[in-house]
Amino acid sequence: MNYARNTFFSPRTIKKIDTAITYRYCRASPFFRRPVLTTQEKKLYHLTWAILVAIALAGFLSQGVTQTLRGVWALQLHAARLINDYTSVAGAGATLVNAVLVAAIGLGLVGLTGTRVSGPTISAVYTMFGFGLFGKTPINSLPIILGVFIAARLAGKKFNEYILIALFGTALAPIVSMVAVELIPAGALSWTGAVVTGIVVGMILPPTAIVMLRFHQGYNLYNIGLTSGFLGLFAASLVAAGGVTLPADMIWNVDPPLLLQLLIPVLSVVLLGAGLFGTGLSEAEVEQREPGRVVQEGRAAQEARAVQPLRDFLRINRLSGRLPSDFMEMVSMRGTLVNMGVLGLGSWLYVLAVGAPLNGPVLGGILTIVGFGGFGKHPANCLPVMAGILAATLLFGLSLTAPGAILAILFGTTLAPLAGDFGVLVGFVAGFLHLVMVSRSGGWHSGISLYNNGFAGGLTATLLAAFMEWYQTGRDTAKAAEER
Amino acid sequence: MKQRNELILHLIGEVGHYILEGDPQRMSINLHLEQDGFHLTILDDIERSDEEIGAMEASLHHTERPELAGYYGSMAGLEMVGHARLNLVGWQIHHGDVQRVEGGTRIDLVLGAEGFDHAGSAFPGAGC
Repeated sequence: MNYARNTFFSPRTIKKIDTAITYRYCRASPFFRRPVLTTQEKKLYHLTWAILVAIALAGFLSQGVTQTLRGVWALQLHAARLINDYTSVAGAGATLVNAVLVAAIGLGLVGLTGTRVSGPTISAVYTMFGFGLFGKTPINSLPIILGVFIAARLAGKKFNEYILIALFGTALAPIVSMVAVELIPAGALSWTGAVVTGIVVGMILPPTAIVMLRFHQGYNLYNIGLTSGFLGLFAASLVAAGGVTLPADMIWNVDPPLLLQLLIPVLSVVLLGAGLFGTGLSEAEVEQREPGRVVQEGRAAQEARAVQPLRDFLRINRLSGRLPSDFMEMVSMRGTLVNMGVLGLGSWLYVLAVGAPLNGPVLGGILTIVGFGGFGKHPANCLPVMAGILAATLLFGLSLTAPGAILAILFGTTLAPLAGDFGVLVGFVAGFLHLVMVSRSGGWHSGISLYNNGFAGGLTATLLAAFMEWYQTGRDTAKAAEER
Repeated sequence: MKQRNELILHLIGEVGHYILEGDPQRMSINLHLEQDGFHLTILDDIERSDEEIGAMEASLHHTERPELAGYYGSMAGLEMVGHARLNLVGWQIHHGDVQRVEGGTRIDLVLGAEGFDHAGSAFPGAGC
């Protein structure tokens, strides 16, 4: 395009376009493929690796190297549909090492593809880690990721455009284990069939996930939950049509060891410490983001930034959280880390207060909340939804420590953006409806989708988003008629 | 071709949604389309403050986020509930510019096609 002869471009705009195009298309440039990570992003990347290594070491120390490795191998060959608490199957140490391996795949791919280390990617890594405690293993997750990779190639896109779908898409990992362990008699054929099934499912994920976003319009944070639940319906129906009845057994650890009980408070304190005492953006990076700010603010303002993470935490609590809300980009990384730490400690205290066990699935729920503390969740938008779920639990006479109820209150925060955008009342109603839905939705897909709350939450969010659209349109029409 | 047209319609939808939220009396959309890229100009008659223009520019001047553009970017122009979000547009374009013009605001969005040959382009100073 010859922009120089274009009459509706000012010289200033031409100069800006020139800079942008040169930056994006010069293959000789070192920035062509990889974004320039800020020093904070590099530190967060290294911190996340350090946390994973420390957890793996704790796992090995608690169970011994040989027992841990045996346990990890046993998990690869175990059924993975909901709910299989791996801490009961192979012990806490082996389960933690398995979860670390799953998360390491995610974090490794983020590094390899040069994806920004920010709210969405960190939430995906924490979610993978959490579900590595009750359903995901490296062996059942990799075929799904490979399928998404192939889908990206077929669509002529780079893998990093679909990386979030690939990482979150491991929600359907149990389908791989189901084919290998539950459907086809053991042998090479069973694993070949399982891997092929996983790849095919991974290839279907991107187009389905993109369409599902349009239903709830970003008000369900676990969009892949709705997607995988939807695909799980087809998978469960196919299995049933083949005359196979999948057992609905549940493995639930009621007496988790101290190591698991201390995981969340230690992690939360580390995140809080990194947020409160970590380094902020360098002056050069501040200048790059907001030209002139460093000069304008001066030294006093620079020093005042010591309390900035707390201010940023409060700013985060005023955001709706609707997808995609990258708090690290929208506000700050340090404020986001504080948010993640606060959410972790708050959720942990709730579980302790009601007396529920801090086992694999419950820890998975808390870790997902911590991860999404960078990508849509904060106390102000989570609490109304949790209050709605709590009210429904008490009204229907369920135990607060029952697996369904405790998981619903943790994972149900997928609906937090409804409270963030439409207020406390809508958030409360969303939470109430969520418990009703999630109690039934798991059976529909036979537990094949690990994000069952994301599935139920997607249905609830779609209903409420449709209602709010109708209500807002009707209100505007009535207001306009009054003004006439 | 279909992919390009769909993208253009999504961008127009999201920016149009954003402008209509400001309740303008006039909105003009101008599309300059060529084989290897396009330039979209949207003009309205809303006089915005420096702060508002700065916020719009910040939303459009996102760094490259392919992981968000390829997935969540598909929501652009399709949202009927809630507020319009220019960052959904910012992730998908190569350049965005917001300027105050007489009696209103002008938004320029530029995107070069995939496989765009920078060496053969006529962009001034594009060689490197």
